[in-house]
Amino acid sequence: MIAVEDLTVTFDAVTALRSVDIDVEDGEFVTVIGPSGCGKTTLLRAIGGLQEPTTGRITVDGEPPAAARDAGDIGFVFQDHALLPWKSALGNVTFLRRMAGKPADEAGAADLLETVGLGGFEDARPGALSGGMKQRVAIARALHLGADVLLMDEPFGELDELTREELSVELRGIWRDTGKTVVFVTHSVPEAVLLGDRCLVMDGPPGTVASTFSIDLPRPREADVFRTERFQRETARLRDALHG
Amino acid sequence: MRWTERRRWAPVLSVGVLVAGVAAWWVATRALSIPPYLLPTPEAVATRLLASPGLYAHHALSTLLKTLLGGGLGMAVGFSLGLAVAHVAPFRRVVFPYLIALRVLPTVAVAPVLLLYLGVGFDTAVLFVALVAFFPMAVSTAAGFDRVPPRHRDLLRSVGAGRVRSLLAVGLRFALPDLVAGAKQSAVLAVVGAVVAEWVVGTSGLGYLVLVSSETVQVASMLAAVAVLVCLGVGLYGAVALVGRRLVWTG
Repeated sequence: MIAVEDLTVTFDAVTALRSVDIDVEDGEFVTVIGPSGCGKTTLLRAIGGLQEPTTGRITVDGEPPAAARDAGDIGFVFQDHALLPWKSALGNVTFLRRMAGKPADEAGAADLLETVGLGGFEDARPGALSGGMKQRVAIARALHLGADVLLMDEPFGELDELTREELSVELRGIWRDTGKTVVFVTHSVPEAVLLGDRCLVMDGPPGTVASTFSIDLPRPREADVFRTERFQRETARLRDALHG
Repeated sequence: MRWTERRRWAPVLSVGVLVAGVAAWWVATRALSIPPYLLPTPEAVATRLLASPGLYAHHALSTLLKTLLGGGLGMAVGFSLGLAVAHVAPFRRVVFPYLIALRVLPTVAVAPVLLLYLGVGFDTAVLFVALVAFFPMAVSTAAGFDRVPPRHRDLLRSVGAGRVRSLLAVGLRFALPDLVAGAKQSAVLAVVGAVVAEWVVGTSGLGYLVLVSSETVQVASMLAAVAVLVCLGVGLYGAVALVGRRLVWTG
């Protein structure tokens, strides 16, 4: 459970976030959407303990973010995959868990590569992988950390449309199987609708949560969901909120 | 295929350039009948070198020792300071400007000052070499560790990875190419530093030999010493480059 109360973050004279209140339930998938510079990334960084709040209070499973972070209870996935170019895919997956000081689990890491569709690519260096595959490794790395909370900052932002949709559907499946609590920042309306149980629409600067959307779609959501009328209706509804 | 072929021919061409240079030198001394006290023939220099190999070996060893000790010391201090500059913010703000200021200072001008304080001798020479070798390593180290991308820093921080742990697992590997480049520069400068030190405060070494030979107008002896010196410098650079390439490849 993530609780954000009256969060304000200011950088010198700029207010990035103002009085933001958010609750994310255990096992919930929340997407965050909004225009550039509305503080989505700052919000995610604050929850993950990478950005100190100026005022306000954040807890992750009852702990302050810094404590949750240091315990390895928060898994980040960034837009930039941030893989180590000299390590194999498997080495990259195990690396973060090792840095967190958790016991090694090579077999588990290999299984996770399988889960994200990279079985057989254990020994491949990032240089030999496509953008989508690199991001799959980054997701496996975050899952392997064993954290209950996943914070994802536009992880598919640099991928082509097709790969994006494919990965979104797969991520939704992984989430269903693992029961992680996910906060997922995105620029893409279809992505926000497909992935989220709930979508927070942000506005700014200064960043505020303008409205909250419950996404009315069946689950599980497969690739054909994109073609359903309900999906179209939900994206239209979210678009209206964003432009309105 | 073409690329590998070119690579194979490169060393041959390099040696060819050397042979051509020596040949041009030989032809010049003959054709222009330059007197040997101005420019002796290549074979005169070679004869001089082979006549007393022990002498040149002795002085070469002395220079090598100064270079290795001074260079090693300078690189170690340079690495430590570079590391501190890259990782301790106040240190960067306070110390880095002085590092740049010192870089502008011609180190050669410091040699007489060292002579004044520490006198003539081996220790003074080693210290001077260290001083000369120190700068490239310090600046390269600082720049190298700055190369860790911000997202990688975030990632490490997001799991509470400690500084030392992050440094060893990620920082060092990103910095490696710069560390190798710095070490190469430092190695070459260390040789130059050793020669300068031998001119000013030396009692032995190839630089000392060059100085004494030139004072007594023994140009053949002087050129022989220079030839040995060049071999020593190239050898040292090659050794550092080789170790560096191994490290960068294998990680």
